[in-house]
Order: sequence, then structure tokens, then C-alpha cells
Amino acid sequence: MKPKVAFFDFTGCEGCQLDVLNLDGEELIDLLSAVDIVNFREVKTEREDDYDIAFIEGSISRESEIPRLQKIREQAKVLVALGACACIGGINCLKNHLPMEEALKIVYGKDAKYYDTIPARPVDAVVSVDYYVRGCPPITAELLKVIKALLLGKEPDIPNHPVCVECKMAGNVCVFERGMTCLGPVTRAGCDAICVNSGRHCWGCRGLVDDPNIDSEKDILKKYGLTVEQAVEKFKIYNTYAEVTK
Amino acid sequence: MEENSVLVVDDEPIVRESIRDWLKDAGYQVATAESGEEALELIKKQDFNVMVLDIGLPGQAGIAVLKQVKAQRPWIKSIIMTAYPSAETTVEAKKLGAVHYLVRPIARDDLERLVRETLDSAGRERTVTTEVEIRPKPPVVEVVAVKKSLVITKEGLKSMVESLAKDMEIVGVKSRHGKYVYDRIASFEELHLDYDVAVTPPTKYLLPARETLLKFKIGDEPKVEPVIEAIPRAIIGIHPYDIKAIELLDDVFMTTNPDPNYIARRQNTIVIGVDCLNPSPKSFAPSMDTHLTETGFDLLLTNIGADYMVSVGSEKGADLLAKHAQLREPTGDEIAKQKAVRDGALAKYKLSLDIPKERLPKLLEESYDDPYWESRSESCLSCGSCVMVCPTCFCFDVKDNVSLNLKDGQRLRQWDGCVLIDFAKVATGENFRHDKASRLRHRIFRKGKYILERYGRFGCVGCGRCATACLAEIASPLEAFNAIVESVQAKEAAMRIFREVRPEIELYAPRLAELVKVEELTEREKVFEFSLKDGKALGHRPGQFVEVSVMGIGEAPVSVSSSPTRDGTFQLAVRKVGDVTNALHNLKKGAMVGIRGPFGNGFPLEALEGKDILFIAGGIGLVPMRSLVQYVLDRRSSFGRAILLFGARSPAERLFLDELAAWSKSPEIEFHETVDRGDESWMGNVGVITTLIPKVDIDPRKTMAVVVGPPIMYRFVIGQLKKRDLPDENIILSLERRMKCGVGKCGHCQINGVYVCQEGPVFTLAQLRNLREAV
Repeated sequence: MKPKVAFFDFTGCEGCQLDVLNLDGEELIDLLSAVDIVNFREVKTEREDDYDIAFIEGSISRESEIPRLQKIREQAKVLVALGACACIGGINCLKNHLPMEEALKIVYGKDAKYYDTIPARPVDAVVSVDYYVRGCPPITAELLKVIKALLLGKEPDIPNHPVCVECKMAGNVCVFERGMTCLGPVTRAGCDAICVNSGRHCWGCRGLVDDPNIDSEKDILKKYGLTVEQAVEKFKIYNTYAEVTK
Repeated sequence: MEENSVLVVDDEPIVRESIRDWLKDAGYQVATAESGEEALELIKKQDFNVMVLDIGLPGQAGIAVLKQVKAQRPWIKSIIMTAYPSAETTVEAKKLGAVHYLVRPIARDDLERLVRETLDSAGRERTVTTEVEIRPKPPVVEVVAVKKSLVITKEGLKSMVESLAKDMEIVGVKSRHGKYVYDRIASFEELHLDYDVAVTPPTKYLLPARETLLKFKIGDEPKVEPVIEAIPRAIIGIHPYDIKAIELLDDVFMTTNPDPNYIARRQNTIVIGVDCLNPSPKSFAPSMDTHLTETGFDLLLTNIGADYMVSVGSEKGADLLAKHAQLREPTGDEIAKQKAVRDGALAKYKLSLDIPKERLPKLLEESYDDPYWESRSESCLSCGSCVMVCPTCFCFDVKDNVSLNLKDGQRLRQWDGCVLIDFAKVATGENFRHDKASRLRHRIFRKGKYILERYGRFGCVGCGRCATACLAEIASPLEAFNAIVESVQAKEAAMRIFREVRPEIELYAPRLAELVKVEELTEREKVFEFSLKDGKALGHRPGQFVEVSVMGIGEAPVSVSSSPTRDGTFQLAVRKVGDVTNALHNLKKGAMVGIRGPFGNGFPLEALEGKDILFIAGGIGLVPMRSLVQYVLDRRSSFGRAILLFGARSPAERLFLDELAAWSKSPEIEFHETVDRGDESWMGNVGVITTLIPKVDIDPRKTMAVVVGPPIMYRFVIGQLKKRDLPDENIILSLERRMKCGVGKCGHCQINGVYVCQEGPVFTLAQLRNLREAV
């Protein structure tokens, strides 16, 4: 019996689901021979409510999303948070610094009264999460790694060290040496430093390592010319919910 | 048994007798046999450390002897001789436990060296030493006189590189973002020979960040195949400090347990060095004696203005010049110019050690508890940048990657580093270096002490890369070395030639073993009985461990829990605590796993012989202990009293119930046990294991205590044993660490300077007194 897999989207851009479709042809065929995808809005309209593995995309930012998520949790044997919004709250949490009424007004203007919103939060703030596929967007190789680990019954091996490890493995010149600043030293690796490889810096989209040295990172950001506020802003983009910005 | 006894088996009198005389002269106890039969008779009567065997004895007798030895005296290490080497006999002999293979005619030096190395690796009794002995390995190179230098014009160098590029890949230093990096060179114009330092070192071409070690198939027809890939490549423009780093890696990967993947790449690589004339401001190479080098390269260039001086460092280098370059003899002025530019470069270094580097090991030892490590590490990000840019760092991790079809996959090796948070964490969750301070200290100790003690070279070449890469500005070994100070030498003119190295092709490739029996011990533990697919015995000593592979899941170290004195199968008792052990627990009879090893030293059987033995086992410590208990019971007359103390947390956690019951009744062994917490059914002792020690009467002069249990138990048991006046030399402990590779390379199992998989896992307390991270 192939496990049945379902994808569900909450508050987010659905880019993570699109990214699943970016698997190359052969990988996609292999994936489909290993699992049955029963629920995937970006791909098919038919739906089934019987599934084993649920992938949750997006953060939770409306009251009505909470019972919907809880119901999925009850049904799924395994629940996987997919992407930055689901794993760490992501950029949706930027609004958490504002009163909710104000956030509604900024987004919807005079139609604000038709909508409700709550401070955005990651999936594991509402239900328990078995596995995380991190990143904005997630790395498809990591998604496959988690699926394979599930099929084999082993723990997926997601690094608990900072991006610097993979960045140095890639032989990059350090972002700081190039006159920019970077969250790589406190951000969980697993992306092979893809942003730095492409000439940018790390935004922290994979969330923090288990025991990040935030004080040291802030000192470094300051040393490289950022004010305290700018340093905090840098963390806020993806990691508002992690409370390191307070 | 004699400490250094050798059995020589050969049917040719002249060979047999010469070998006997050579080895006798070298101080060994030698016995000889002229036929397989005679050898087997001797072996029945007497134990040997090493056997030197002519595999070509008439009528397959050589293989028969090996098989018998394997079954009866698996601890005897065999060196095979043959006049007609063939792949089949080599593989066959290897499977039967032969550790070395010599092709006739045999040189006296080679044989003596092999016998010595074999004895050393056999985990011979290390007579009462207070420190664990770590022997720097013999050098892999011979040193011969250097040829004189020549001169090549810049135009000549360009055409040499272009000509080389037709035969191989060219790698060199390029400019990127205002810094320098090693990369493939497409045209000579990209190549920089006047750079300060490259962001990451050229060692990645010998030990890449990621590589495949094995390919495997899972399922009914499991298969494992080593993957060794190398392409011919010239690396042009390596600075002397990086050449020195490559020399260290050569010692690490090409001596004991020669690494097939490294060796293939190394032998396909041409090293063309260049003198560093504009050093990085963070470099302190002169303090480490690495700013110049006379060894380790095939060719070395020095920019003397209009032209380059070329020093030839190897025959490979000389051949290359003959084929690809036009050169001329240097003038006297040019020789003077070379010295002048080198002196000029030396004057440009800004940093230096405050003491001669030779004083570092002692200085570090004295500073182990210095508050410096704590304060220095406060801002450490544990980001790994320092180790990832280090040319001498070589630690790695090994992981399985399965294809989505779940039928095949690869075993991958990738860089790892001792400053990363999970580096010393084992499956049970214990992290043996959990705080930043101990990790930072460990790294600095490797640089200034541990690597030196093991390989005879410093683990730091003073390149300054880590100091540049560390954003928190704490990584520089120089600053650490200088900070702990209370307040360079003549070189031999030489060129290196690699002796023929024999890579251990199957170093990382497990042998297949069939699961022939599974038995549940408790809720969490099962005992698995395996039989090697080739039908051979494992050939272990009690106390050794194996690396068990469930292909696709990974590899984990497991102690052997049966004695080699029992029949051809072996048993592993395993607690379900991680991926591999979970997967093992799901296996059914008939399943295939991979086995590498046995590894480690095992219990010092020779030191135990004739003594009273006090076994103290806590919880799953009984697993490795059982192999020794069985061994002692099977060779009962060789030992004095046998006393076994066993403690479990609760009655439900007691292992090997049948054997416990048998031991409690046996007149051969005095058995006492306790549980920390009893239940309704438990009629025996209640209390921690230390409460049993006062109950037994021992003679401290002739008792050896063997202690195996969880780390927490050791301190208390040692305290009790010391109360009974047992000397440190008589207390033997087996330690748990993260033994990832088993062959002394990956770094994960290190306790201070000691590799548990090599010098351990069994130590005397006397040895551990100097290993601060141990207990």
C-alpha cells in the first residue's frame, strides 16, 4: 500500500506547493510511484479526505484556520510543516508588531470589517508537527529527503548547524567580507547556502538553529555597521515569531 | 603466551629459517612449522600473536590453516606470503582475517615492519602505562636528496600549463569578489600566482566536501560496492603552508587503514607549489615553520622577477618538466634573487607565536582548566566556519542516501567539524562535548597538541584562514596559543617519493552478514545472532565492536556480546535508540546487514590471564561484558576467581535472563546482582550497583576489575574500588563514544587526543587519569 499524501494550504503564497512541481520529471515520476497524492489544489481538483501524510503550507493567521488544522491533525498519521510560513511563521508574522485592527485596515481599507485576523503563528503553535521541510521556498531535495525518511522509517537528517558550514563547503567568499551582512551564522543549514551561492546573503528563511548565539550575531551585525534597530529588522523578516527580535 | 610470539609456517626450509632468524634477531619469540598439520598442532597447544604463513603450501593447506586459526584462535593476526599473487587468494585470505599480504621475494625490513605494525594493531597488552600510547605512524614517504633548481620564463610557464591542460584538469587560484579561491582554470590568464591566501584551501581536491564511498542495493539481493573516483589533475600555485597541510593529510589517510578514496585522488594529483611572497595579514606561517617548504610538492615555483625558479620535488615533477617545459640552469644572481625574495616575504609577516611551537603541547596541557576557554567561547556561534576553511581539518560524517525507488542508494561522506554542536552526540542522546567552551578547547588542542602526538606534525599550519573566517573573531589558534602563554628550524633539503601504498579498498565497505536468530531480551533490547555470508568467523576479541549497516538507514557501532570461543556466529545485543537500531529491531530472521570490523582494542586478555577477575556491569554494560564472561568461562583454567556484579535499574531491564540464572548457580563464577528499584516479584537485592562491592572479598594485589556501564556509574564504582585499595592499573573500563568510521579518521569518538575506536574502547583507569574528557 502506497501512503496517501495530501497538501493543504493556509496563509501563504502557495509557492511551496508550486515548488513541489519543480521536481524534475524523473523525480516526479518516482515520487508518484512511491506515494499517492490525494489532495493537491495546485494540481488537481478531485479531493479525498482519507490520507496518511499531510503537508501543511502557510502560517495560521485567522481564527477559522485553527479548527481546520486540528481536524487535519486528527486525520493524518504524519503531519509535515512545509515551508517557512508553516515551520516558523515566516513573513506573515511581520504584522504581529501592529494591533490587528490596524493590520486589517492597511490591507483591506474600508472592507476591513468583512475580515478577521489573529497574530500569525507557525503550525506547531496550534498542533504538534512531526517533521519540518524548511525554507522559502523549501528545497525540493529536502522535501524528497523527508518523504524518503518517512517511507524508510528513519529520522530525516536535517542539519542542526548554521548555514556557514555549507557556505564554506561551497567555497564562497564570506558575505561580510563582501561588505554586506548575513544571518547565515545563526540560521539552520540544509539549503547548501543557495542564496550566497547566487551572490546574495542569508535571510534566515530556514529558521534558527536549536541553540543560536543571537547576542553574538547581533554584536557582529553591529560591528559591520548596522544599528541595533537595523539588526533587529534583519531578524524580523522571517523570524519574528522566534522572539529573537524582542 | 609470550608477548611477542610469532609462528612462521613455510614448507621451504631456507625461507622458513631465514624468517625465523630475522625475527629472532629483532627480538621476537619465534616458532616454526613446515606443514599445515604441524602448524595446527602447534596452535592447539600454544597461542601466538602473529602468524606468518605461506599461503601456497601444498594442497590448499595454507587456506586450511587460516580457516582453522580463524575458528580456533581468531585473535592471531596472520600475514600471508605468496610468490604468485592473485586477486582471488588476496580476497580469500582477507576474508579469513589475514591482515597483510606480502609478495615474494620478501625484504627483511618490510617483514619486520609488518610484524611490528601487526603486533601494535593487535591491541597487545599495554603494560602499566599511565598514559594511553599514541604512536605517530611511520612516514609514508622516503626522503631522498633534492635535485637542483631550474629557471623557467613566464612565457615558458604559460606554455607548460597549456600543454599540461591537454592531459589533465588544471586547478589554480582565481580572483573572486576581491578575494582568491581555488577553481578550475580554463585559461592561463585566470591563474593568480601572486595572491595572499585563498578563502578555502586546495585540500578539497583531495578530500571533497561531499563524496560517495559506496553504492548499495537493498532488498533480496543486497549488494555493496566501493565507489572510488579520481581524475588526473594538477593544482598550480599552492602555498607552502598548504603543501604542509597536504603532507599531514597524507599521513592521516595513507598510513594505518589506508583510505582508498583519498589515495586514488592523491595519486592522480600533481602538486605545483608557489612561494608565498605577499602573506595574508592574519598568517603566522613562519611560527609554524610552514612559510617555506622543501618537501611535499612535485614542483615549486618562486617568482624571481622576470622569470620563475622551479624546484623539482619528485620524479613525477621531473618527468612533467621533461615532457612539457623548456628550462635553463639558473645564474648565480638568480639563486641569490630567490633567497632575497624569500627573505623579503618573511619580513612581511605581522603575527608570530610568543614561544617556540615545540612548547605548545605542554603549555596547552597546563592550561586545560584555564578560564580562558570559557570566556573566549562566549561569542562562539558554533557555525563551523573555522573548521570548514582549515586545510588540516579532516573530520567527516557518513550518511546514507536512498533513491526514491527505495531499492538502491549511496553511502556519502561529508565534512564535519568538532566545533559543531552535535559532533560528539551519541544515539542515546548523550553529548560528550555539549558546551561551546569544551568544543573550542578541543579544536585548539587538536591544532597544538593532539594531532602532533598522533602524526608527528602540528594540526595548524598558520595560514590564518580561520582567523579571517571567524566573524566573532575568536578562532585564531595563534591568539589562543599566545593568550595562554604566561605573559623555527633548519630544514632538510629533500624530496618526497611515496612508497607504494596499498589502499584498503574495502575500508568503508561492509561484509554482508545474515541474521540467523533474534531474541527479545527486554522491551527495548534484542539480541541478534549473525553469520557472515562468507561463512567465516568474525575474528574478534571480547570487548571489540563492529559497525553495523542497515543499508539505506546508516551505520552504527555495536559491541559484540558473544565470545570468540563460541561457534562461528556472533551476537550483538542492541537497544533501540536511534535510526539504525530501530531498523535492526524491525529485521526478521534471514535479513542481511553489513558488518565492518571488529574494531577497537578489546579487553586486555593477556593482562587478565591468571588473575582474579571482578566483572562489574551496569544495565546494558552487560552486553560487551558478556563476551568476556563467556570467554573466561570457556577458558576457565587460565584465570583465577571470577566474580560478576550486575546491576539493572529494574527487574524488567535485566538482560540475558537464562545466563544470569545459570551463572547464579554455577560454581565457576561468583554472581551477585541488584536492581535500583524492585517490584512485587523481585526477591533479590535492591540498591545501586555500588552496594554490591563491599559484599565481596577481594585481594587487591591479584584482582583485575572490569567495569562496563553507563557513564554516570563509573565515578561511583571507581570510588568504591579505590576504597578496596585496587590500583588504577587494575581497574579496566570500556567507554562509549560516537564511533562513526571505526578506522581512526572521522574524529567523532575522540577523547582529548585519543581515538576511542583505535586506542579504546577499553582503558585502564591509570590511562584515563590523564584523559580529562573521559569519565
